[in-house]
Amino acid sequence: MALLSMEKVSFSYDKKIDAVKNVSLTVDEGEYVAIIGHNGSGKSTLAKLFNGLCKPDSGEVVVDGFSCKDKKSLFEIRKRVGVVFQNPDNQMVASIVEDDIAFGPENLGVKREEIGERIQFALASVGMEEFRKSSPARLSGGQKQRIAIAGVLAIKPKILVLDESTAMLDPQGRKEVLEVVERLNKEQKTTLINITHYMDEVVRADKVYVVNDGEIVLSGTPKEIFAKRELLEECGLELPVSSKIAQKLIELGVNLPDGILTKEQLAEELCVLKQKI
Amino acid sequence: MRIEAKDLTFTYSKKSKAISNRALENVSLCIEEGEFFGIIGQTGSGKTTFVQHLNGLIRVQKDSGSLSVGEFDLTAKKCDLKALRSRVGMVFQYPEYQLFAETVKDDVAFGLRNFKKELSLEEEERRVKLAIETVGLNYEEIKDKSPFELSGGQKRRVAIAGVIVTEPEVLVLDEPVAGLDPVGKRDFMKLLHRLHASFVKTIILVTHDMNVVSENCTRCAIFSHGKIHSVGSPKEIFSNYEQLIELGLDIPVTAYLERELKKLGIDVDSDLTESDFADKTAKAIVGGKQ
Amino acid sequence: MKDVTFGQFFPAQSFVHKLDARIKILLSIAFMVAVFMVQAFQFMGFVACLLFVLVVTALAKVPFGKVLRSIKGILFFIVFSAVLQLLFNKNGTTLWHWKFITITDKGLLNAGFIICKITLVVLGASLLTLTTSPVDIADGIESLMYPLKWIKFPVHEFALIMSIALRFIPTLLDETDRIIKAQKARGANFESGNVFKRAKALVPVLIPLLISAFRRAEELADAMDARCYSGSKNRTKYKKMRLTWRDAIATLVVGGLITGVVFLNITGFLAVVL
Repeated sequence: MALLSMEKVSFSYDKKIDAVKNVSLTVDEGEYVAIIGHNGSGKSTLAKLFNGLCKPDSGEVVVDGFSCKDKKSLFEIRKRVGVVFQNPDNQMVASIVEDDIAFGPENLGVKREEIGERIQFALASVGMEEFRKSSPARLSGGQKQRIAIAGVLAIKPKILVLDESTAMLDPQGRKEVLEVVERLNKEQKTTLINITHYMDEVVRADKVYVVNDGEIVLSGTPKEIFAKRELLEECGLELPVSSKIAQKLIELGVNLPDGILTKEQLAEELCVLKQKI
Repeated sequence: MRIEAKDLTFTYSKKSKAISNRALENVSLCIEEGEFFGIIGQTGSGKTTFVQHLNGLIRVQKDSGSLSVGEFDLTAKKCDLKALRSRVGMVFQYPEYQLFAETVKDDVAFGLRNFKKELSLEEEERRVKLAIETVGLNYEEIKDKSPFELSGGQKRRVAIAGVIVTEPEVLVLDEPVAGLDPVGKRDFMKLLHRLHASFVKTIILVTHDMNVVSENCTRCAIFSHGKIHSVGSPKEIFSNYEQLIELGLDIPVTAYLERELKKLGIDVDSDLTESDFADKTAKAIVGGKQ
Repeated sequence: MKDVTFGQFFPAQSFVHKLDARIKILLSIAFMVAVFMVQAFQFMGFVACLLFVLVVTALAKVPFGKVLRSIKGILFFIVFSAVLQLLFNKNGTTLWHWKFITITDKGLLNAGFIICKITLVVLGASLLTLTTSPVDIADGIESLMYPLKWIKFPVHEFALIMSIALRFIPTLLDETDRIIKAQKARGANFESGNVFKRAKALVPVLIPLLISAFRRAEELADAMDARCYSGSKNRTKYKKMRLTWRDAIATLVVGGLITGVVFLNITGFLAVVL
C-alpha cells in the first residue's frame, strides 16, 4: 500500500475557484517524488493538503493508514508528514538553533533527554552540528533552510515535503539543501516530495507530477516528462538549459538522442558523437 | 551616463571596531553608457553594497575613494540626490514588497510625484499609463485596483512600473528574477531588453544566475570578499573555470560545454549565448562529418 | 543592518553573566527595592548601593561607560524630577528667592536624593540587560511567571509570544531598512519638512511593513501547525535552568546589601529619636 495517497481531491480557498481539481496521486515508501508547476498552479496547496493544513472539499488524503476525514487523525498525519516551507525566516520560532529544533518534539510531548538526542540527530542529518547554539539571524539562506529541515526531522516524519523550499535561495544554498534532502532519501530512506518550479531539480526524482491550474496534467519519469516540451511550455514551464541546447542542436541536424537532462549528459553524448565521426 | 568608481571602500559600523565589517575594498570599475552590465558574486561579496552607492542610498565614506555617475559627483558633500535618483532607477529584490498605495495608479505615480512636482495631471496620467503598458499590463483594467489584490507576477510588474515611470537612464536591478518561475523569468528578461532598447540606456543587473549573464550581458564583473575579482565580457570571465569554482560560483552551461568540447579537440568559440553556441557547435560537428 | 544587536546585551564570560537569569531578575528587583528603602537623607545607603553597582560592573567585565550610557536615555526625566523637587518643595529654610521661585535647603536635598534614587535604579536595571541576553531574560520571566498558571494565566502562550517577538526583531529591522531604501530610490524624503510632513512620509514604509508582518505571521502559523503545535497541552520543555553556587553567593551579597540599608535606616531612626 502506498504511504501517501490522494484520491480525487478538490479544494478551493474561496469556494469559487478550485485551487486543486480532482487530483489523484500516490507516493510509496522511500520514493523521491517531484511536483512541478508554475507560480500559482496550485502546487503549494498540495503540500498543505498532504499534512492537513487544508482540508479537501471532496476526495480523501490517506497517510500511513490515517485518513484526513477523521478529525482525530490530524495529529497523526502531521507527525508523519513534515513540511519545509519557502521562506526560511518565517518558520522559526526561537532565537537559538537548538531551541527552535526542540519546538516540534516539545509539541509532541517528547521527554527532555530524548529531545536532546533528537536535536543532535537532526542537526547531524543536515550537517549543522556546530551551529547548535547559534542564532539563526546570522546564518546564510541555505543554512537557515537546513535548520528548518532539521526542525522537521526532529519530529521523525515518514515523509519530508519541500514546499518550494529552494525558491528564495542563491545557487549555493539551493545546492546545499538539495544535497541534504537527496542524501536523506538515499541513506535514511526518507520519503521525499519536492514541490518546485526549477526543472533542473527534478532530474534525479523517481517520479514527476506536472501541475497546471490545479490539475495533474502529466506524470512519469523525468525523462518521459522532459520529452514533452510543448506541453511543459503550455504549463508555464521550461526545459533546463542543457535540454534546451540539446533540442536546438537536434534541430540543427546534430544526431543526439532524446531526453538529455543535464549538462554532463550532453557533454557525454557530444563526446560519443565526436568519436563516431 | 558613465559610471566610474575609483578605489571605492566601504565599512559597515565603521565607528565600533568590534562589529565593523568591510564590505567594499578598493573597488575600481567603469560602466559605459549603453552597457547591459552583469554583477556576479556570492551572497555577502559586496555587490549589493556597491550598487546601492550608485544612487546615493549608501553615501561614499570619507577618504574612501571616489564615485561619479554622469555629471553627479557622489564624493562631493553637496550632491543633488533627488535629481540623481530620478535618473538612476533601482529595483530591489522582491520589489513587490514596496507597494503601499490604495490603487495601482497612485503607487506607480509615487516616484513621479516625488521627483517631478510640476507635472500636470494629464502628463502624469500619460506617463503612468506608459509605464504600466511598458511592463506588459493593461492600464484601464488595472489602474484602479488595489495593488494587493493582484497576483504575484503582476505585483512585481507594477513595482517595476513604479521605478521606470520617471524614465531613468540607468536601471539597477538586484536579483530581479528571484522567485519567478521559468516563464516569468523569460518574460522578465524580455522586458529588460525592451527597456534597454527604449529610454533606459544602461542596465546593471545583479544576479546569481550565470546563464542569465552569458545570455544577456555585454560585460560583467565578479565580486568576491568586497573586491573586484575580474571584469570583462562573459567570454573572458567564464574562461577562468577553476577560479570561479574556487569562488563558489558556477559557470554557464554553454561555457561548460565549450570546455568539454575543447578537450575533444573541437574549438567552438561562441559568444556563449545559447543560440550562437548551438549554431557553431552544429557547424563544427555536422560540418565535420560532411 | 544585518548585525544589529538590539537591546544592549554585552556578551562576555563572567561571574555575573553566568548567573541564572531568574536569580538575576529577582536580585535586580531586590536591588531596586533596597535603593527605594534608603530613607530620606541617609546618603550612606546610596554610597553602599553605588559601591555594589561598581563591584558588579567590574565583576561582569562590562565597561563602565556602557553602564553609564543607559542614564543618557532618561536624563531628561531625571533632571525634570529634580527640578520639580527644587521648585515645589517649600519646606525648610529658604536659600534663594526670586519672584515666585523659592529654593529651600530641603528642596535641594530632595532633588539630590531623587537624582541618586533614579540613577541607581536605572544602573541596576541596565546591569541586568547588559549581562543577560534577551532570550535568557524571556526564559527567566517565563519561569518566574510559572506560579501564575494557578490563576489560569496563559504563561506558556505568553512565553511563546515573547520568544517569537525576539526572534523576529532582527528580521523586521532588516526589512524596514530595505523598504526605506526602496522608497528613497523612488524619491521619498524622510529627512525634511515639519513633523506632520515627516509622519506622512512614513506611510509608504509602514504599510508595506505591516503587510509583510501579517504575511510572515500567516506563514509562521502554518509552519507551527505543520510542526504539530496544538497549544500548551501535553507539551514538554527542553530548556531547563539550573541554579549553581554562583547564584547562592549572589543572593547572599544582595541580601547583605539590603540588610545594610535597613541597618542604616534603623540607626538613623534611632539617632533622631534618641
